[in-house]
Amino acid sequence: MKTAGNAPARGRAGLLASLAAALAISLSPVAAYAADPVKLNFWDMIWGPPEYIDAAKELVAEFNKENPGIQVEYRSIPWNNWYQTYVTAISAGTAPDLSTGAGYQAVQLYDLGAIRPIDDLIEEMKTSGDLDDFLPGTVDTLRYDDHYVALPWGIDIRVWFYRKDMLDAAGLKVPTTWAELREAAKATTKDGKFGILASGDTGGSHFLYNAILNNGGGLFTEDRKLDLKNARNVEAFEALAGMVADGSVSPASTGYNSDDRRGAFNRGQGAFTLDGPGLISQAGDAADKIGVVPPLAGPHGDKGTIFWVNNIMVYEQTKHPEEVKTFLKWWSKNQTPLWTKGNTGQLPTRKSIAANDYFKQQASRGYVLENYVPIGKTTATHAAGIFPALNEVEGEGVMQTFAQELWQGKPLDQILDTADSRLKSIVKE
Amino acid sequence: MSAVDLSRSEAGTWRASARAWWRTGDALPFLLLAPSVVLILAVIAYPMLTGFWYGFTDGSLLKYGRFVGLDNYVELITSRDFRHALWFSLVFAVFNVVGCYALGLGLALLLNQDVPGRAFFRVALLLPWIVPSIVSIVSWRWMMADERALFNQVIGLFGGSPVYFLSDQTWAVVMVIAIKIWRSFPFMMLSLLAALQSIDRSLYEAASLDGASRWNQFRFVTMPQLRNISIVLALLMTIWTVNDFDTPWLLTQGGPANATENLVLLAYRYTFGRNDVGLGSATSFVTLIILMILVVILLRRQKER
Repeated sequence: MKTAGNAPARGRAGLLASLAAALAISLSPVAAYAADPVKLNFWDMIWGPPEYIDAAKELVAEFNKENPGIQVEYRSIPWNNWYQTYVTAISAGTAPDLSTGAGYQAVQLYDLGAIRPIDDLIEEMKTSGDLDDFLPGTVDTLRYDDHYVALPWGIDIRVWFYRKDMLDAAGLKVPTTWAELREAAKATTKDGKFGILASGDTGGSHFLYNAILNNGGGLFTEDRKLDLKNARNVEAFEALAGMVADGSVSPASTGYNSDDRRGAFNRGQGAFTLDGPGLISQAGDAADKIGVVPPLAGPHGDKGTIFWVNNIMVYEQTKHPEEVKTFLKWWSKNQTPLWTKGNTGQLPTRKSIAANDYFKQQASRGYVLENYVPIGKTTATHAAGIFPALNEVEGEGVMQTFAQELWQGKPLDQILDTADSRLKSIVKE
Repeated sequence: MSAVDLSRSEAGTWRASARAWWRTGDALPFLLLAPSVVLILAVIAYPMLTGFWYGFTDGSLLKYGRFVGLDNYVELITSRDFRHALWFSLVFAVFNVVGCYALGLGLALLLNQDVPGRAFFRVALLLPWIVPSIVSIVSWRWMMADERALFNQVIGLFGGSPVYFLSDQTWAVVMVIAIKIWRSFPFMMLSLLAALQSIDRSLYEAASLDGASRWNQFRFVTMPQLRNISIVLALLMTIWTVNDFDTPWLLTQGGPANATENLVLLAYRYTFGRNDVGLGSATSFVTLIILMILVVILLRRQKER
């Protein structure tokens, strides 16, 4: 048979042709592209103790194993000079493909054209129902100029803590309203100890934000105009000034930084302080003596506190938006070990992670998640979402100076006017 | 002759003169200086000129701004923060220069005598200068932070009430100056001690033969001999104090209520806190101009004498 007779020859020819084709394919740039995994640079801020970095690296390694077509390189970014780190990278064209960042980083960089909106991803998550897994309000907080500029991952929040031993010694119940807090602070101020321990650094300004948001106030109007001197804010500042006038706020507060304040609280030098949810886990031997005050009701029945929704953002400089999206979705769903192994001080923005046993074992964090997070508000309140000016408002230190002067007992109307005019000069109103 | 021929002939002349220059060895100093000049241009001149330009723009850390003329300088000079920072910088510099000079001179005079343990004290007194600022200032902070800190425990032993050194504006200013003096005096002491040891002994012998008392020897022999080094030291210390970031930042972060905020901290706050590079650069340049005026005045006085 012709066919049979030609078979070996055709086989050889076919073999040669196949080899040639394989060689051509393997040497062609298209083949190299297909074979090499896409490399993504992921920059992550240090959100917890040293084990946090290890947990995050392990998580990235797991993703890389599951997705051989995408290889993510993890880089841990220290908080010192973080802004300069990102600014330099963006200016030099070496920005990461995606990064985590503090509350306002995404809007700040978006406004400068460096951030790629994730509207398509949010739409996909909405369709699949995955968006329902996020705690209410967290996703919309990151909406700016009709775009979603980042995906939430962690919440930083300020809550009131109390010393159980001091309240027991004074025969007091844990306060549930601002009026009760004032009375309890007054009653525990004795023998060189004070009712309230505050600070004069950025943490000091959180006492002010907490007070105004707790009283239904806010720094801005709905159309983003500065509104520091509205009636609810003034009432809240007066409540704090009243505690200072009572002698309940430690006079050292003006000079304290947050570490000093925390140290003094852990040593039992004060009955109440405002801090992040990780305070108890970092209190060492004093942990058993510290409890979380339930959300306080203001004079009009309002409840609220300051919180920041920390997030993950995608950079315009990325060349692989689809792969970035794949990683972002995976990371967002699988980040539980950042808490269980990494002990991050943040609270999760996903309900599925919040339901983890870890938060049941860490009773105080579970309590904060359940009771404080739903009443959390941003510094943008009453404006919707967040916007770049918030960074300057918080960063410039006006509210910090305001807090220092308040703890010093200076006349409220005077320091309020100064703070108002300085804030207006910052936001160019 | 055509234009091409002309340019060729000019190029030939230029090459010939360059070769001659090279052969005579006149080019060597310039070549040796070139790396330093390039380095100075790159790390000092370029950033300085860029910073000067930024002072006339309204940019942020990431965005080039528009040219706004003298707006930043007008805003700065009319602001209360600037006036206060300028005043504090002045107070800080004057008290620190006077304080560390007096302390440094006193100790230098003492260590110039044949006192027991002189070698030990010469080394021990250098410690405040050697210890990293973060270590020393944070340690000072702990000693005065609140009513249970060391200073207040000592005050308590004498029956006094606690003093909140970092919460009170006046006390905070005093403590920032005191700690700066503590950090600076070893340099003064060391420099003045070296100058004291170089004074010709015969001057004292002559003064003694003339019946001059110890005080008159100090006044009419020691001090005139220390005049030049003292002017240089005062100049250096003024510059270092006006430019000091570490002491007020680590101790008080410029507080309470901006009481210890000097011009450098103000420039930092404007640039990195407010994200206003134009205003921050303008603040830096005003600081530079003030320092340059001071330097010129001091150098002129030195020449006049």
